[in-house]
Amino acid sequence: MKKLLSLCLVFALALSLSACGGSSSGSSSAPAEKETAEAAETADTEETMTFIMGIDPEYPPFSYMDDDGNYTGFDVEVCQAVCDRLGWEMKIFTVNWDQKLVQLDAGECDCVWSGMTILKSMKESGYVLSKPYFYNTQVLLVKEDSDITSSYDLEGKSVAVQLGTSGEKLLQEDLKDLADTFGELVTCDSFLKCFTELDGNAVDAVLVDLPVATAYIADHEGFRIVNEELGAEEYGIAFRSVDQVLCDAVEGALADLVADGTYAQIAAKYPDIVDNLLFLNE
Amino acid sequence: MNGNKNAPIFAVNNIQKSFADVPVLEDISLSVEQGNVVSIIGPSGSGKSTLLRCGTFLETADGGDILYNGEYAMKDGVYVDKAALRKFRSRFGLVFQNFNLFPHYSVLKNIAEPPMLQGVSREEAEDRAMGLLRKMGLEGRERAYPSQLSGGQQQRVAIARALAMNPEILFFDEPTSALDPELTGEVLKVIRQLAEEHMTMVVVTHEMPFAKAVSNRVIFMAGGVIVEQGDPLQVFDDPQEERTRQFLRVFEK
Amino acid sequence: MTFTAMVLKMSEGLGRTCAIFFLTLLFSLPLGMVIALLRMSKNRVIAGITRFIISVLRGTPLMLQLLAVTYGPYYLFGFNVPRNKLIPVVIAFAINYAAYFAEIYRGGIESISKGQYEAAEVLGYTKLQTFMRIILPQVMKRIMPSVTNEVVTLVKDTSMAFTVSYQEMFTIGKQIANSQTSFLPFVVAGIFYFVFNALVDYVMGLIEKRLDYYD
Repeated sequence: MKKLLSLCLVFALALSLSACGGSSSGSSSAPAEKETAEAAETADTEETMTFIMGIDPEYPPFSYMDDDGNYTGFDVEVCQAVCDRLGWEMKIFTVNWDQKLVQLDAGECDCVWSGMTILKSMKESGYVLSKPYFYNTQVLLVKEDSDITSSYDLEGKSVAVQLGTSGEKLLQEDLKDLADTFGELVTCDSFLKCFTELDGNAVDAVLVDLPVATAYIADHEGFRIVNEELGAEEYGIAFRSVDQVLCDAVEGALADLVADGTYAQIAAKYPDIVDNLLFLNE
Repeated sequence: MNGNKNAPIFAVNNIQKSFADVPVLEDISLSVEQGNVVSIIGPSGSGKSTLLRCGTFLETADGGDILYNGEYAMKDGVYVDKAALRKFRSRFGLVFQNFNLFPHYSVLKNIAEPPMLQGVSREEAEDRAMGLLRKMGLEGRERAYPSQLSGGQQQRVAIARALAMNPEILFFDEPTSALDPELTGEVLKVIRQLAEEHMTMVVVTHEMPFAKAVSNRVIFMAGGVIVEQGDPLQVFDDPQEERTRQFLRVFEK
Repeated sequence: MTFTAMVLKMSEGLGRTCAIFFLTLLFSLPLGMVIALLRMSKNRVIAGITRFIISVLRGTPLMLQLLAVTYGPYYLFGFNVPRNKLIPVVIAFAINYAAYFAEIYRGGIESISKGQYEAAEVLGYTKLQTFMRIILPQVMKRIMPSVTNEVVTLVKDTSMAFTVSYQEMFTIGKQIANSQTSFLPFVVAGIFYFVFNALVDYVMGLIEKRLDYYD
């Protein structure tokens, strides 16, 4: 038993060491603490600061790859406008969604900004979180000819959800009782797979963020959204616990963009989500 | 398959074989009578091993006849069908230069399994194997694996394995070439003993004194042809051909 | 979630991990032999096609093959996506591992000297008897270390089933890690794999020992 315990310790140590190694090499150009944020904002004699935006590249319409292979989306465009305003150089880092906070801590990106639901656990863990900018609900996406009209019809059915999304979280916590009635809960590592499972009749419904569902049915025939809101939530931007200054700079720039109308211009390109943008409806 | 009682046990007529257009055997003819020991000598590359391998169907000859007891295994370059060829295989045994024992089988199984696959009962096959081991001076080694034996012992097991099939003729392809000099004697002694029992044998060898002492007939091959053949005393002591003399001179030193 | 609850929850997935492992071995070990024999076929067309298939299977990621087997029929022909993911997972794993085993078998078979075939032929063994009695047992012994390597890799590769949402141990671990914002499930997963492989090593060691009756 003692041997096993020491083995566990060695293993844990190796893991933490490799995590440290990753962070030190990953952040050589991006210091874990963005002390220069304010300086860069005010004095243009300083070297241009690089701001690394962490996104899930498969999360339209907030962040995705366009037809030309470039990352775009509402969040990406807003971030670009913020960086332009602050004179920062913007870089994009695609996070592994279920490891996004670890990657943020490791300095691989300076924020996670990608239709991210603000969770209580993030606040508790000390992450600096921006003011929420989007109001969201989870909905069920089903096939057009499905007999599912509310969450009560899910008993014994197969439901897909993306790993690491608020939908998954919801089913594990607030809606656990509902999840227990499912025949099977299938956790996919991307929305594309959730939808493929649905279209291929492997699952009966997908629990997904409203804007994602709306955007999907706009492009694909044969699906409908079940008219029931399951769990409200808000989107925000996450920064490392030491980066309050950085958060303030971004929020300041965001306020400016809202004030001068740039924000509304960008939002107009994304009709699926415009109604739920909090800054425009204040 | 009794064949013709008066026919030679083994014969080849005008056999030919080329490897990639290079002729290795050119019109070789040879016959071996019941109870005879024929030694084939000659420099390496002379075709003597190829002749043995054609006779035992390990190589496909290009032309000529191969006969066992007067029956054709190959006639004018055409072999009999596979099933018939299999029956011919039961008439001869072959002892390889490198023994080719089965390393994962015990000595006993090496010798007893081949007859058992031909329908001999386990009891009889193992009895036969034990008898042969005694004859080869390997009593008590039946449980050993080949790698635990010396080269000379392995070759004696290989001879026992060939004999266990009750062949009418035994071919030896340089049976002592892979052995350390001090081990050749024990193998040659066994072959000599078989000769005394009138086992019909064809031995490809470099052991000149052995060939001279044991054979009824010696064949000297060079460049894919039989240069000279006859009584061992005549071939060794009074060779008629210059090439034979040249070859034998090397061994006199 | 307590540590015990975490381990228990992940153990549920362990059964599925074992299912992938054993079913893959069950199918890939014999299938590999078939592929190896086709690869060594005297018919050049058969050998060439098999060689190409092997190079595709070894030259593309297993993850891609998993996706292809699971979702390929849906995208290409509009077939339903299988509900029970164990089936496509085992098919993809078995085919992929069979390709690796085939090359190991081939190496083993080709390392057996020609003399073994010749001795068997002269002693009246049929082609099948020669292969089953003389060649295969020797090949088995020679390839055991390489096979052990593949089997150990297979234990770890089972985690790849998460790409097609099969709820094996690692997938569950990822879910817990995510919901608990904790690294601990990965440590638990690491220990599970390590113990699993220690068992595999032990069993393969026993088999190697059994085959070690001759040099």
